[in-house]
Amino acid sequence: MRIPDLSPYVPGSDGPWDARTAAHLLYRAGFGASPSEIERAVSAGLEPTVDSFFSESPGEEEHFQRTFEDISASMANFGEPFVLRAWWIHRMVRTSVPLREKLALFWHGHFATSIGKVENTYLMHRQIETIRQLAWGNFRELVLAIARDPAMLVYLDGESNTKEHPNENFARELMELFTCGIGNYSEKDVAEAARAFTGWHREGSEFRFNPEAHDDDVKRILGRSGRFDGSDVVDILMQHAATPRFMARKLLRFFATAEPADSAVDSAAESLDRAQLHIKWFLRDLFLSKYFFSDECRGKRIASPVEFVVGAVRTLGVRIPAFELAERVAAMGQELLAPPNVKGWDGEQKWINSSTWPARVAFAEQIAGLFSDNPFGPHLDLPTLVPPDVTDPNAIVDRLAGLLMAAPLAADTRRDLSEFLITTDEGKRPDLFRDDPDFRADRTRAVLGMLLGLPEFHNC
Amino acid sequence: MFTRRDFMGCTLGGLSCLSLKGVVPALFARSADEARAADMNDHVLVVVELAGGNDGLNTVIPFENPLYYKNRPTLGIPAGEAIKLNDQVGLHPRMGPLAELFKEGKVNVVQGVGYPEADRSHFRSMEIWHTASTDTRPPTSGWLGKFLDAGSPAGVDEAAPRGLALTGVLPQAFQAEKTVVPVVAQLDQLVDVEDGAAALGKLRRKLSTAPGGEGEVGFLRRQADLVYRTAERLREAAAKYESEAQYPEGELGPQLRRAAQIIAADMGVRVLFASQGGYDTHANQAGTHGELLEQLAASLAAFQDDLESHTRADRVLVVTFSEFGRRVDENGSQGTDHGAGSFLFLTGSKVKGGLSGEYPSLEKLGDGDLIHTVDFRSVYATVLERWLGCPAEELLGQKFAPLDVL
Repeated sequence: MRIPDLSPYVPGSDGPWDARTAAHLLYRAGFGASPSEIERAVSAGLEPTVDSFFSESPGEEEHFQRTFEDISASMANFGEPFVLRAWWIHRMVRTSVPLREKLALFWHGHFATSIGKVENTYLMHRQIETIRQLAWGNFRELVLAIARDPAMLVYLDGESNTKEHPNENFARELMELFTCGIGNYSEKDVAEAARAFTGWHREGSEFRFNPEAHDDDVKRILGRSGRFDGSDVVDILMQHAATPRFMARKLLRFFATAEPADSAVDSAAESLDRAQLHIKWFLRDLFLSKYFFSDECRGKRIASPVEFVVGAVRTLGVRIPAFELAERVAAMGQELLAPPNVKGWDGEQKWINSSTWPARVAFAEQIAGLFSDNPFGPHLDLPTLVPPDVTDPNAIVDRLAGLLMAAPLAADTRRDLSEFLITTDEGKRPDLFRDDPDFRADRTRAVLGMLLGLPEFHNC
Repeated sequence: MFTRRDFMGCTLGGLSCLSLKGVVPALFARSADEARAADMNDHVLVVVELAGGNDGLNTVIPFENPLYYKNRPTLGIPAGEAIKLNDQVGLHPRMGPLAELFKEGKVNVVQGVGYPEADRSHFRSMEIWHTASTDTRPPTSGWLGKFLDAGSPAGVDEAAPRGLALTGVLPQAFQAEKTVVPVVAQLDQLVDVEDGAAALGKLRRKLSTAPGGEGEVGFLRRQADLVYRTAERLREAAAKYESEAQYPEGELGPQLRRAAQIIAADMGVRVLFASQGGYDTHANQAGTHGELLEQLAASLAAFQDDLESHTRADRVLVVTFSEFGRRVDENGSQGTDHGAGSFLFLTGSKVKGGLSGEYPSLEKLGDGDLIHTVDFRSVYATVLERWLGCPAEELLGQKFAPLDVL
């Protein structure tokens, strides 16, 4: 089969622009999609919707900064990792530009840095601020910022990298995992690049260049010679032919499909190269492409724990303290600030095992069990999702499934769920279901929890 | 009398041993393999991964070698502190409980284990160890996954899992084409899931585990099905287990304790995989490394003790490994960088105690690293053939001479 290239998707001649198509785009570019977001996207059209992903109101960042300061001043201690994790989840849930948070999450897995070694939440906070701020800018700027990032300097031992004792840890991962990928450099390149980064240290929570520890001699890296320093190494790697391809593949895996075909990676690499490694222009091309809306990419990913949890919360408009969401996400195998190693999370099928699957189902149950009338605390606005005057079991199942599922439910699943709605311990009670709003609400919750915990909802 | 399943225990990829070899000798080979496999059918292998690259030189210390102290000016363990295994090498001073097991003849220290053209990337080297292949395009199946696939003819109940991961995520060694290996951790959660309305639980199970499914749905359903079936069995095992063994706190102890529960329950598990991380000691190594080795030694000793009190010790073999050793000379941050060649331990009642392999030279190095004297696949071949009763050559893709350790 021919893999569609990144040429533009033209709604109408290439396929529809409807609620399902819009939901696909919104899920990938953000976290879930509420009915009103989908409606807005459908009426705005594809291109304006994609452009809206990148437009943020100038007040929003300021608002988050002020809230952070306020909380920090007298509410909670961001020195505790669990507070910082909750803060990030809170931003994901509340943001009006989910793509920025989604990219920050992508970069957190890409430039994986763990608080386990850094042992300093302030440095971790600074790093997340950096990847958020530079999320869709030029990749070179981002890599350079990461090379000078204090948390990274601790995590990959940059701070002990000196002329007398070069430490290769950062230089190796920079090539292997951050830019061009394994097989595209030699051991010698790693050793020479490590020399170029000598003296890139930190003082407290700031980057500091230490000229005495820097090796100013000539290095030979990937066929070039010079008195290179770290930023020269970054430049050399940005010009490495393997870098756009390595990054294109990784971006496709995160935003488009778990297993991109080689030819799709080729097209994407060309696009990224044309965009001069500018992430925004690449993603814009991708989100507007035939490829992105083709069968190659529809329903071909498994939602990560953050995508599942934040997606469910945003889609349903649920209120749950972010502290709790962060813990749930960790139990599902994605503890923020603590990726398992410098390679980040493997993702996709690796998310699912006998420990993480039960954690997902338990979260689905929890959401379904939330009250509708709790003035504080956790809250699920069931009457808005399913108006109390809808009494037909099939209509209720269709409504919930339409809200949550990427594809229509199988006929027998739909039938089972409709029957389940009206069944009590004593047998089927369609009359009770029709006449008793409390019973109806209870059963509707049970089906909502069931749908959130079905494999279909975790495939996106 | 051999059952069909016993026989299948020594086949590969669904082919019987008969079709792997010439016809006439195979008739003899088959019955020999068959008998051996049947003998070993209740043997259990526990693989313990030391993730991050364990510093072998500071684990099995060459205290008579001046080059060791020359290369390790701040990190070298003084000869007086190493726990002597013979007149040349000793264990790290915090590995007392393992030294005790060694005295009892239940530990074999395999020296200088590695592979040609060592790779200093954690991921690449782990991939090599987990897949037992140095090919640049390694197989997707891991070496333990291949073993499980070989003995897993269609129709065998996967909920009596033959492999179990005690780690947080599935290790690559367990990737397989036919066998799904569950991850044990936090299975208690599933109990919560199944509590509550019975009808709800029943329907959820039915809808989550239906056959077929588009995209990744099919994969997710198979996983869900396995979760349900396995959880039932493991819950039973934990409920029956009682033990006095004292496992240390930390990452490894609880994993091995769970392993002992599962082994004591005789569920038919053949391979378990545990992991202890933190060995990537680039800076200020001494304290961290000592702490890790102390946990390792105490966990292995408690596990042995536990198995002995449950009369399962004769059936269990533990093998440790790490993706690489570390550079011979320490770096400027009182740490060590990624190197090559290391040491591994086999423990168990049936192990031939002692040291095997040759201690790698500290004089003749390869690019600053130890040159291995034993290919790690020789250890795998030994374990496969002499412990699990599975022909190793086909599984490993070439012949590796087994070691005299079992």
